[in-house]
Amino acid sequence: MKLYDYVLSPSCYKIRLLAALVGVELTLRPVDFHPGGEHRGPELLALNPAGAIPILEDDDVLLTESSAMLVYIASRAAPEWLGDGSAREGARIQQWLSFSHRLTATLGSARLHEMLLRPGDIRGLQSAGKQALRELEAALTEQRLSDVEFLVCDHPTIADIACFPYVALAPDGGISLEPYPSIRLWQRAIRALQHFIEMPGIHRLHELRPAPVRPEQGA
Amino acid sequence: MTRQPMIDEWYPVGLVSKLSTTGQDTMLMGQPVHVALGNGGEPLVTAQSRRFPVISRFGHVWTSLGEPKKDLFAIPEAYQPGRRFVDVGVVRVRCSPLRAVENFLDIAHFPFVHTDILGAEPHTEVQRYEVEIREREDEVWATKIHFYQPQAAKSAEGGITTEYMYRVPAPTCSILYKTCPPRPGEWDVITLFVQPLGEELCDVWPWMALFDDTTPMVDLIHFQQLIFLQDRSILENQMPRLLPLDPAMEIPTRADMTSVAYRRWLKRHNYTYGAQLVAQ
Amino acid sequence: MDLATLAWKIEGMFPNALCQWVPVALSVDVPAATVSPGWLPGLELALWRSAAGHIAASSNRCPHRGMRLSHGFVRGENLSCIYHGWSFGPDGGCVRIPAHPDMTPPATINSQNKAVLEAGGIVWVCDSNPKSPPPDFHGLVPVRSLTIEASLAALEAAARAVADGKGLLAATIDGVRIHMALAPLAGPQLLAHVLVAADSTCEDRIAASRAAEAFRRMAEAMSPESAAA
Ligand SMILES: N[C@H](CCC(=O)N[C@@H](CS)C(=O)NCC(=O)O)C(=O)O
Ligand code: FES
Ligand SMILES: [Fe+2]
Repeated sequence: MKLYDYVLSPSCYKIRLLAALVGVELTLRPVDFHPGGEHRGPELLALNPAGAIPILEDDDVLLTESSAMLVYIASRAAPEWLGDGSAREGARIQQWLSFSHRLTATLGSARLHEMLLRPGDIRGLQSAGKQALRELEAALTEQRLSDVEFLVCDHPTIADIACFPYVALAPDGGISLEPYPSIRLWQRAIRALQHFIEMPGIHRLHELRPAPVRPEQGA
Repeated sequence: MTRQPMIDEWYPVGLVSKLSTTGQDTMLMGQPVHVALGNGGEPLVTAQSRRFPVISRFGHVWTSLGEPKKDLFAIPEAYQPGRRFVDVGVVRVRCSPLRAVENFLDIAHFPFVHTDILGAEPHTEVQRYEVEIREREDEVWATKIHFYQPQAAKSAEGGITTEYMYRVPAPTCSILYKTCPPRPGEWDVITLFVQPLGEELCDVWPWMALFDDTTPMVDLIHFQQLIFLQDRSILENQMPRLLPLDPAMEIPTRADMTSVAYRRWLKRHNYTYGAQLVAQ
Repeated sequence: MDLATLAWKIEGMFPNALCQWVPVALSVDVPAATVSPGWLPGLELALWRSAAGHIAASSNRCPHRGMRLSHGFVRGENLSCIYHGWSFGPDGGCVRIPAHPDMTPPATINSQNKAVLEAGGIVWVCDSNPKSPPPDFHGLVPVRSLTIEASLAALEAAARAVADGKGLLAATIDGVRIHMALAPLAGPQLLAHVLVAADSTCEDRIAASRAAEAFRRMAEAMSPESAAA
């Protein structure tokens, strides 16, 4: 599978992250999103006229929506990430996939504004982003009250992966995560998954490895 | 805090390669300015009735709100044949421009912030190195810095002990020289040019002049953006936001000799835009 | 109500907040080997629990280069700063400076820990010598904490009730009765710890969480100063 990728894009990171977690190998094709604006150049517009990344190619399959890519990768390699097949879990996953696009439009746009100087109504984006975070916090709190660690069930699904990146990077857009204890613990649970990979702005959980005893001299 | 005497310095305000006739609005030390391409293809930096001095160098457009007493600093390596120049692009950071430079001068954070790339536990020790304020050039220099790096550059294969030198030729600019994996004996040049928008807000323009004939340009850009974006969340969470010049405010160790010299040099020149002189 | 009156009312509710226990978080929100941000009036905290379960409250500012310690990590019995990895023990003393692994850090380097204790499922912090134990919310158990961007007066108006001397506000909406233990945050903001009767079921607790959201919506709609936020 070939992913048109940008190292700072949370949407591309969703795909890299799920692929890493389920052991799918991706061929990365880096896109000069910033400062080059390559996603709006002829080659990429021919693949995605919307002028956005990620873009995923696999044989004759061409996908331009990250949620669809998550479904595709999970269906191929790790169906347990799609829930248990029940109407209830399937629909709840769809609920969060749709919700994740609100995160992109609010938290993601605020981040592009604050970090890469994109135009936008920053106050409006930040306040809509905060509203989305409050909804997520309420939902995750209810899950915790039922002893469930993840968004849909007691193991992670593509719903968690769809929502995690823009949430974790909300502070990049000047939107604080400090008021949300349940979001904090949910993020931690995701970051502690085996084979988790980071992106810039999300630091390593150094505590997962023991403190070095005493370094050997030199390298 | 006052803009004097930093107002007479040169600051980056845009990429030469991205100039357009419509131009871009930006800010310099609280002053809104417009950066555009003039009719004769020359860069223009203006504000209503004023027109500011301009230099195009090192991939960037430089200007000054005051009366620069000297030319923009030199980077002789930028004229060495065989180097590739990388316009990394702008990243805005909600921090003091001086904190952004100080972070760039620091190696002790590599294992924790740039984990498995520029550093990794247990290789956290910072060996003694040399720091001086070179009086003739009026620059801060740190030399003979050695640090173990798992992936020192995009072109590096496996861990190496890298040698670094740092140079601060202007209050918001720094240049680092580091071991160049494909060309032993030469230095890769990586710079951090910081545009102070305000005392607690800056646009950072990293730029590089590398010996690397094989890595695609986009990979070089992304490697540097990756590194800088790992620093950004640190810079936005240091308190106070202004760089404290009062030695009682923060506790340096021997690993921070470059930072100590930088702060001393800022204080000596009264370069205090973005700094805090006494604890608040 | 004008701002001065509101400020007075907050002060009245937290007389000498500096020598009082402030409810800063729920115990379950700071599990072992984690750190989270917290607040005393005018002071940011890093609340953390060691791997063995010991709770501590440090200043949120690393003495080295000012990084927020709440971004750090807890390894074993120490809190480490994410920037350069300086590590602090439960008493706040610096125990490790990774750049100088052979050096014993000077005893003067300290993360400025505050008095902290846990009672009734709540983490309480005090900036100086507490004169008395924190209030006992007998028969109540905590459900969740949430931030309300409204003044105390607005929340009281929304709840149609007044906070008692323990900083506890009881309110009922659609037949769901909740208690909120309140702590002031910067600006006209409150931290509310939602409590319910100890014998509540899981469904009761979820209902209480939703009730708190409803009170927050009402209070924020009434609070002109939070409209911009
Ligand atoms: N199609 C959406 C697009 C995601 C998205 O917003 N991607 C950003 C990069 S993170 C983008 O390409 N934006 C285009 C632009 O801002 O010009 C998805 O796959 O979720
Ligand atoms: S700022 Fe905390 S260790 Fe350096
Ligand atoms: Fe860094």
